[in-house]
Amino acid sequence: MTADTWQVVAAVVVFAGAYVAIATEFVHRVQAALVGAALMLAIGASNGEVAFFSQEAGIDWNVIFLLLGMMIVVSVVKQTGLFEYVAVWAAKRACGRPYRVLVLLCLITAVASAALDNVTTVLLIAPVTLLVCDRIGVRPEGFLIAEAMASNIGGMATLIGDPPNIIIASRADLSFNDFLVNLAPLVVVLMGVFVLLTRWLFRASFTYDADRAAAVMDLDERRAIRDPKLLSRSLVVLALILVFFSLHTVLHVDPSVVALLGAGALVLVSGLSSEEFLEDVEWETLVFFAGLFIMVGALVNIGVIEYLGEQAVDAVGGRYLLAVTGLLFGSAVLSGIVDNIPYVATMSPLVADLVESGGGSTQANSLWWALAIGADLGGNATAIGASANVVVTGIAARNGYPISFWRFTRYGLVVTAVTITLSWPYLWLRYFVLV
Amino acid sequence: MHAADLAEPFPVVHLDDEALPATRMLAREGLPGLVVVDDDGGPLVVLPASQVLRFALPEYLEEDPRLARMYPEDEADAFCNVLAGKTVRELMPSKQYLPRHDRDRPVVGVGDTLIEIASRMSRQHSPVVAVVDDEQEIVGVITVHRLLGATLQQS
Repeated sequence: MTADTWQVVAAVVVFAGAYVAIATEFVHRVQAALVGAALMLAIGASNGEVAFFSQEAGIDWNVIFLLLGMMIVVSVVKQTGLFEYVAVWAAKRACGRPYRVLVLLCLITAVASAALDNVTTVLLIAPVTLLVCDRIGVRPEGFLIAEAMASNIGGMATLIGDPPNIIIASRADLSFNDFLVNLAPLVVVLMGVFVLLTRWLFRASFTYDADRAAAVMDLDERRAIRDPKLLSRSLVVLALILVFFSLHTVLHVDPSVVALLGAGALVLVSGLSSEEFLEDVEWETLVFFAGLFIMVGALVNIGVIEYLGEQAVDAVGGRYLLAVTGLLFGSAVLSGIVDNIPYVATMSPLVADLVESGGGSTQANSLWWALAIGADLGGNATAIGASANVVVTGIAARNGYPISFWRFTRYGLVVTAVTITLSWPYLWLRYFVLV
Repeated sequence: MHAADLAEPFPVVHLDDEALPATRMLAREGLPGLVVVDDDGGPLVVLPASQVLRFALPEYLEEDPRLARMYPEDEADAFCNVLAGKTVRELMPSKQYLPRHDRDRPVVGVGDTLIEIASRMSRQHSPVVAVVDDEQEIVGVITVHRLLGATLQQS
């Protein structure tokens, strides 16, 4: 589309305004995204056909329906009591010793975040953590902060683990296995370092009374599972979903289709009411994504992203290690300050241009991994860097354990600095030295 | 019929009273709620019995009811023990139960009619309202049962 100068200027102003509104939380993020999208349509930077039907410059329905499908899956799995069972079982295996409990809960959170999504995982794990800490007689703040961070690190391992990964996968046409092969090994290393780091970071939380801690042994985790049939059916369907995700290259079924088929199957076999299986569908998030895609798509449609992409290609000039380094550290910093979802939605078309200019080489493709790692791990930096952090601090406050922005950030900056610094040699070795 | 005709004696509790005895009184006398008065003796808020129950439970059990199933039976039976040593004021930590304006207090005037009393109870989701005179002194309270009984008798 050939755009007038005024349209380009207006579109950039609308986009910047909406972005500032989202970053500063001046208005609700859904409001900002919707008003921004409406203004883009009003000034002619986008139109109905582009916004709703264009694969490059419109709403990415793959992302929307993948999210919707997985939210329904989570709603059903949540009803089984599996999370509560596993968390209490782990606390009992740790004999109520706080550090061991924290390590096990963080590992459970990381694995669950990779298989489901990190917001739901912390929503489920935080209440049971409060119960366990109550029994052991320790303050839960350190445990909750560690779990939010573990969910952001663990979620990085898969396509469905973190919303930025879903956007990247769709834009870059990367499969579930691509994420597993490229990011899961790094996640394993980072989780190992992270649990060691928590021994020092949250040392104040580990003083406990052994007699009191024994109270955790009185909890009966088996009673968390009320409907074993629902549990077994849900686990079978969840396993099938993961198998289908990983067979993408063979079956050529899009992740969004797999998620919807899985959601449909669970709805069918669970016998839950629509209210129950839609309980965890975050309609606001889905609308936010739609508005965001229209805004970013409008910039693509009028050539702004293409122009910025050309500038970026000129600036990089084939120096992909430099670009990867800048993208990794820059994304970490920016994702700590603003929500990583709009950040990745904006950066994806730019990174796509850079990767294309590199002819799709391994070095050029590593930009996608730098973006994913930077955005996912950068979310740990502050209390508002990732949705999981916001959810955890909210639950903590409602239960009488407020975690201030700066308290979270004090720990978050350390964890982000360590994990991002460790990620750089991984990218360098894997995509530039050992290739 | 007016509020003064329906008002009956009813125990009140102060913000700094102990929560456990107040809850015991609620249970013993089968009250629909606790009428909490401020330092001047004016009615501040009504805590419905269901709300008192909520305060006896940790918030995380409300976030995830499945957790309640895992408690050992002896502790489950004595869940109200957590109220020991707490004051009525501590039962209202979120401030959302404290009235922001005088019009939000669970209070009706002695001359208010049955429909005015019903309107106040309904708006505030309160099973009890205090009846005050012109000096804002409590002359008694009206429970929802008493109000319904009176209005059904009229019908």
